[in-house]
Amino acid sequence: MNLRRQAATLLPIVTAVLVGFAVCGVIAALVGLSPWVMFTELIKGAVEGPQLFETVARAVPLVGMTLAAGIPLRAGIVNLGADGQLVLGACAAAIVALYLPAPDAVRLVAALAVGAIIGGGYAALAAAGEIVAKVPLLLSTWLLTYPAKGLCGYLVRSPLRDPVTAWPSSKRIAVGARLGHLIPGTPVNQGLLLIAVAAVLIVFIDRRTSVGYELRMRGLNERFARYGGVALSRQTAWLMFASGALAGLVGAIMVVGSQYRFTDGALTAPQYSWSGTLAALLAGGEPIAGIVAAVLFAALQTGGFAMERSVEIPRVLTMVLESVIILFLSMRGAIWRRAS
Amino acid sequence: MAYLEMIDIVKRYPGVLANDHVELAVERGEIHAVMGENGAGKSTLMSILYGLQCPDEGYIRLAGSTLFLRSPLDAIAHGIGMVHQSFKLFESLTVWENVVFGREPRRGPFVDAAAARSQVAALAKLHGLPIDPDARVRDLPVGVRQRLEILKALHRDVRVLILDEPTAVLTPGEVATLFEVMRSLAASGCTILLVTHKLNEVMTVTDRITVLRDGRVTERRVTADTNPTDIVRAMTGRNVQLRAARQARTPGPVRLELHDLVVGGPSRRAVDGASFSVRSGEIVGIAGVAGNGQSELVEAIMGLRSAATGRVVINGRDVTRDSIAQRRESGVSYIAEDRVRTASAAQASASHNLVMGFQRRPPLAAGAILRLNEMRRWARALIDQFGIKIASEATRVGTLSGGNLQKVVVARELAHDAGVLIAEQPTRGVDVGAIEFLHAQLLAERARGHAILLVSAELSEILALSDRILVMYEGRIVAELAGTEADEVTLGLYMTGDMSGAA
Repeated sequence: MNLRRQAATLLPIVTAVLVGFAVCGVIAALVGLSPWVMFTELIKGAVEGPQLFETVARAVPLVGMTLAAGIPLRAGIVNLGADGQLVLGACAAAIVALYLPAPDAVRLVAALAVGAIIGGGYAALAAAGEIVAKVPLLLSTWLLTYPAKGLCGYLVRSPLRDPVTAWPSSKRIAVGARLGHLIPGTPVNQGLLLIAVAAVLIVFIDRRTSVGYELRMRGLNERFARYGGVALSRQTAWLMFASGALAGLVGAIMVVGSQYRFTDGALTAPQYSWSGTLAALLAGGEPIAGIVAAVLFAALQTGGFAMERSVEIPRVLTMVLESVIILFLSMRGAIWRRAS
Repeated sequence: MAYLEMIDIVKRYPGVLANDHVELAVERGEIHAVMGENGAGKSTLMSILYGLQCPDEGYIRLAGSTLFLRSPLDAIAHGIGMVHQSFKLFESLTVWENVVFGREPRRGPFVDAAAARSQVAALAKLHGLPIDPDARVRDLPVGVRQRLEILKALHRDVRVLILDEPTAVLTPGEVATLFEVMRSLAASGCTILLVTHKLNEVMTVTDRITVLRDGRVTERRVTADTNPTDIVRAMTGRNVQLRAARQARTPGPVRLELHDLVVGGPSRRAVDGASFSVRSGEIVGIAGVAGNGQSELVEAIMGLRSAATGRVVINGRDVTRDSIAQRRESGVSYIAEDRVRTASAAQASASHNLVMGFQRRPPLAAGAILRLNEMRRWARALIDQFGIKIASEATRVGTLSGGNLQKVVVARELAHDAGVLIAEQPTRGVDVGAIEFLHAQLLAERARGHAILLVSAELSEILALSDRILVMYEGRIVAELAGTEADEVTLGLYMTGDMSGAA
């Protein structure tokens, strides 16, 4: 029984991935590329040798942003402002790591904490707008992205600007205030541990606590949760804070763990929050499925880059692959349920 | 051969045989009752007849020819019409516009309004259905809207009319009018199928009865040759106590008080100054036609809706400004009218549905941590205690029948053991067996000394259970009667705003 149910949930995923590969293979063949070369290069590019660590390094922020999107989504709330919260958290972390008059280690910890708090606070602002003035979160989270990006862009162009760099950036963070490498010689840093702890915590809260129960029930039927006495406004505020805090933490980790400075646009260019939102939507906010989807996306993305470099097959094909997989998996509502 | 025949109808759903070789035969001009508990298969059978579902086996014959219905449009083309429980009308349009919609008389590219209006007026006159063709639907009372639905069907030359629980929303006066209309339609050759579970209506208006149970026909009788007890036995397969036994009780201290409660703005007050109290060990019934402020009243008591002015006091504590959680904490539980939309989460398991409200305190939680084993044990205990028919506590409640889902809701709300229970339409759409059970539960709560506010559109329910009865009309409480001195006729008059009974 349990085994059959597991098979039933796995079947659509496997089918979607296979169909995605098939579609991309056909496209590749049509333009005269060898599908076989494409797939082997893609997979090699994702997992072979040092590429595996590239995938892991990419998966860390992506999983973080997936969880950030998934927390409110579990209760049926969409946070479209993760980019703003990420940038603001990252910028705040950079400022703390650069200018806090304290020992290096303290600056590092403070930078991570402040990044999370600022990101969370900014998201909570959107929640307050909805609670007090009924501004839809979908709008406010999205719109608040722009002032956040604008403010940080201004800061690194003017007061925080490192004059030696070509691109608007802050100064470099001192070595002692950086997160170390987890595996020497690879881009994987200790941020992995922080995100792993966050993931475990989120899964635990989701499955085993009254808070998790209440937000799942709200996701299934908000009116039922309200009727049962769940304080929806307070819940919204905390969910948004947690979501924004995680986004801010991801930003802080990227600043103190891999880029060592805040560079305008560098954190949003890889579109982690966008991929993360897709992965979370795909999983319906369920954290473990979201993590799996995020890791898959990270592998496809690094594989795509490698493929483009080595055999000059455009990376766009992996985006097609990603899209087909997502589209197929979202069909489950109609098709898979009928079949099961 | 009968005029309308459904022959050997089989319809399977995953895990359920909804119709198991069902035969239905109805003569021309007959009023035929289709009865059965929820889940007996009567809705499936009627939706097959109306083209909403295709049977897996069997076929339909009308006037000697076999029909293959793929959609309601096919059914209407063959002269089969249906009036659903929830009306399908354009609220902002007039009566005639609703009637002719889809079959408008035309002049060139335009609707010929004059012709349409006179068609509708003539049709209404012909069938004795008094209605103003130019009235806007939103201004019409429910009984007239139903008349409009029937007119819509007649305008499409319907010869077989299916009425699905038509009296659920009507006052006794409107019910009597509907029955006259049904009789006159039948006399003019229209065949009527009445889907209902109300015995007195069936006895009053129908010629013959087909009873379904578990997808099979269990009884086929001429109405005049049968009696309610036999029908109930055919529906349930056992003997059912139709009227719950009530012991006299002296009510205790006041548990729930309303002081001049007003809901809604000055232009339209949904509740207009309600004041009353409910005592321990007492059931106070609120009678009224649906939509006269009962839902708003209850939601304001619970905090789902805010009161404009006035006060709500639960167990001596003024909760007017409190949250829902605080009110529940003060000792009130609530069986909401809409069990699917409000009182449950269809995609959540029975266990998760039964836990709501208990998730933050022992024994189901230790601090913030849920005790999953305790939750399972808790759910199983309630499932056993209330005889909920469900595969396991992990099964989603969306799969349950109306009666079983209602038992889930009632089980949870009674488990709160709160001093005040608000039961809003507790047996709506629930089968006879479950009604008996739920009524017994409410009376047991009363015997336990709880204060119960019962809101129901079913007068029989109000009369059977209430110690005192309040009648709501247009947001006001227009009458208060002792349970012993009330009857359907008096209540019916008050419910329509007729104050002459007050003398």
